[in-house]
Amino acid sequence: MDFHLIAQLIRLRYKLLWAKTRTRNGKIALFMAGYLLLVPAIFLFAAVGAGGGMAAVRSGKAERIAQGVLTGLFACATIISVVLGFGLNEVFSDAELRRYPLNARERLFARHFTGIADPFWFLFLALDLGLAFGLYLLGLGNLLLGTVAVLLLFVCNYFAARLVGLALDRIMRKKAGSVLLPIVFMLFCFLPGMAMPMLKKHPAASGVVLRILGFTPSFGAGSLMVRTDAQAFYGFALIVCWLLGLAAAVAALERRPPKATARTVQAKEIRWDSRFHQAGARFGSQYGPLVEHWLRFYFRCRRFKLSYLMSLPLMPFLLLFWSRQMGRGANPFAAAVGVFAVSGLAPAGAFVINQYGYVGSGFRRFFLFPIDPAATLRASSYTLMGLSSVYVVLAALAWALFAPVPYDVRGMTMLVASGVFGLFAFHGAGLWTTLYGPRRSDPNRTMGNDLSLAGNLLMMGGMFSLLFVPMMVGQIDKRIFSPEHWWVAVILAALAACFYFASLRRATAILPARRERILAVVEGRA
Amino acid sequence: MDAIQIRNLVKYYGTIRAVDGLSLRVAAGTMFGFLGPNGSGKSTTIGCLTGLLDPTAGEIEILGKRFDADSAGLKRRMGVMPETLGLFEPLRAHEFLAFVGRMYGLDESAVRKRVTELLDALELTDASKTLSEYSTGMRKRVAFAAAVIHSPEVLFLDEPFESIDPAGVALMKQWLHTFIEQGRTVFMTSHVLETVERLCQEVAIIATPGKLVWQGDITTFGREGAIVYDGKEFDALEPLFLHLTGERHVELKWL
Repeated sequence: MDFHLIAQLIRLRYKLLWAKTRTRNGKIALFMAGYLLLVPAIFLFAAVGAGGGMAAVRSGKAERIAQGVLTGLFACATIISVVLGFGLNEVFSDAELRRYPLNARERLFARHFTGIADPFWFLFLALDLGLAFGLYLLGLGNLLLGTVAVLLLFVCNYFAARLVGLALDRIMRKKAGSVLLPIVFMLFCFLPGMAMPMLKKHPAASGVVLRILGFTPSFGAGSLMVRTDAQAFYGFALIVCWLLGLAAAVAALERRPPKATARTVQAKEIRWDSRFHQAGARFGSQYGPLVEHWLRFYFRCRRFKLSYLMSLPLMPFLLLFWSRQMGRGANPFAAAVGVFAVSGLAPAGAFVINQYGYVGSGFRRFFLFPIDPAATLRASSYTLMGLSSVYVVLAALAWALFAPVPYDVRGMTMLVASGVFGLFAFHGAGLWTTLYGPRRSDPNRTMGNDLSLAGNLLMMGGMFSLLFVPMMVGQIDKRIFSPEHWWVAVILAALAACFYFASLRRATAILPARRERILAVVEGRA
Repeated sequence: MDAIQIRNLVKYYGTIRAVDGLSLRVAAGTMFGFLGPNGSGKSTTIGCLTGLLDPTAGEIEILGKRFDADSAGLKRRMGVMPETLGLFEPLRAHEFLAFVGRMYGLDESAVRKRVTELLDALELTDASKTLSEYSTGMRKRVAFAAAVIHSPEVLFLDEPFESIDPAGVALMKQWLHTFIEQGRTVFMTSHVLETVERLCQEVAIIATPGKLVWQGDITTFGREGAIVYDGKEFDALEPLFLHLTGERHVELKWL
């Protein structure tokens, strides 16, 4: 095994990471991640882990609590890495590594070593290690065994995340994948929430669940951390078995890449009157071709289709489920106001905040055409706005049919106005990130996070503030979100609309001055 | 009349000077070769000439009118095949060409007729493939078709022939000759000097950073057998180009 060359590749991976910081966005991200977040976060995580360990010992249920904490961390790390792409993005694919003098086994090791050496995994490692240390400080378990448990679980977690990522990739390659995946995603997100009340009602069932969980690697690691008897050996054997099993499954999937579905290569006749053409024709001669183009472009991007389709079951479900969950003792209407506000943001969020990032070198066409280039931004924004507004209508329909509170016209007005507020505020802010935080992105990549720092701040900040602020305000004073105050939401929606149109006017004026910068970013030169 | 006139064109990227006081005149009805080594500012110059980039200083006239990024009327009379091709990958060839045709103001029947004819001539008739599924050569053909679909009066081609098979190149050359015969102008860059020598009447050579070092009529090679420059005789474009841009001989002992 050529460990020297593998070490060089890991070094190169960090050099590439460092090179990214040469851009202005990269410098800000580095500052935020490195100084403000990563280093304190590692310490904080270690301290939280240690605190958790101590609390577990003091509660007298150290083993059970340690197992619970480890299970939660395992699930979080897997979900975050799969959804946001942290620690899973292929730094070097097998095809890229073939240019180096490495055999197949060395390439396999090189890929996984460079994958696991991602800063993202160190955060979770710090938490796990902190827990082991906390338990040890209060005299439970053996530090050496605890460290072994953490390291084995850490590698297990990496392989589990990779296995899920590979499985999802296979699902998405199938025609039914884009329908199947949202259902799997929904089940995964909401199953624990739905299962908890049931388990509380039937304590016998929770015993069965605990027995099943006893066979998971995090429960094995929990035992190995806390115990020094035969149970510790069982825990060790359990994690090793999982580790070997997951590694073998990942190796098997990687060895057999999904077969390309056989496509009958048949010259198709050109169809001129597509539904996109018909939709575009309604916008007149100036905007019609552009709207048609954007509609066609978006619906050809796998990423857009997935995000748009995933929001379809998500929005009504979130609306009903969350309103009911949060409604206990609180105001269900406040939760609904938040969900309505998010409904215009979720379906096409990544495209709204990075409108030129997915077109690559096509961006330069917009400046070669004999038109005002600002028309392309206007058309794109109107198209995305139209597509996103469908979800406000769907949310209103779902509320009218299944609302947990009696139907009230004022209430419905308030909710729809909240949706309109979210739509205009987010799409208005998205114009600014499009101009000042563009990022070259792959329209067909279905997983992972490829937004700029500004884009991420807007996306995450927008989601969280729109969802949680109404709920928090509703907790403080329940009367604020009563239907009598419907007019406040209408005024806010009107203000958001003013913000959107003012932003559109200003952004379209600035676009020509920003074009060289955006061009350099979307063509991969900056 | 000059189809293109550039006066003291300067372009900076931050502190980097990409084009340095370039002045050129291209007569209408000419096939004009714009040559230079890698990084000498050819694509930047074409970017300025087509409205993609803002010149830092200098003036550009196209078809006798002052040109800048907002000159929509002039852009309608220009066709451009950019170096990076400027394609929208998820689209199919006919969808992309129809979009380009509509953006240049062609009516729907003209769009459909021209797209069908172009795809047929360039052998791109499979409507099931998206542009991302095409080979580099096929993508270049699509970009070339997009540059000519609206019958422009001035055509800017950045490295048009690289990666295209000989049959495709022959067809494109045939169309370009027809283009010139009709009094229209082609401004092209290429690193394949033999092609430029056979195709172009006039050539400008620039050196880093975007400085004109020679401009002249290269039909002299055919008429008189050689061009005299710096007291030396050059019988082909390649030795002249190497002389002007600095030929280097480096020997690596381990190679």
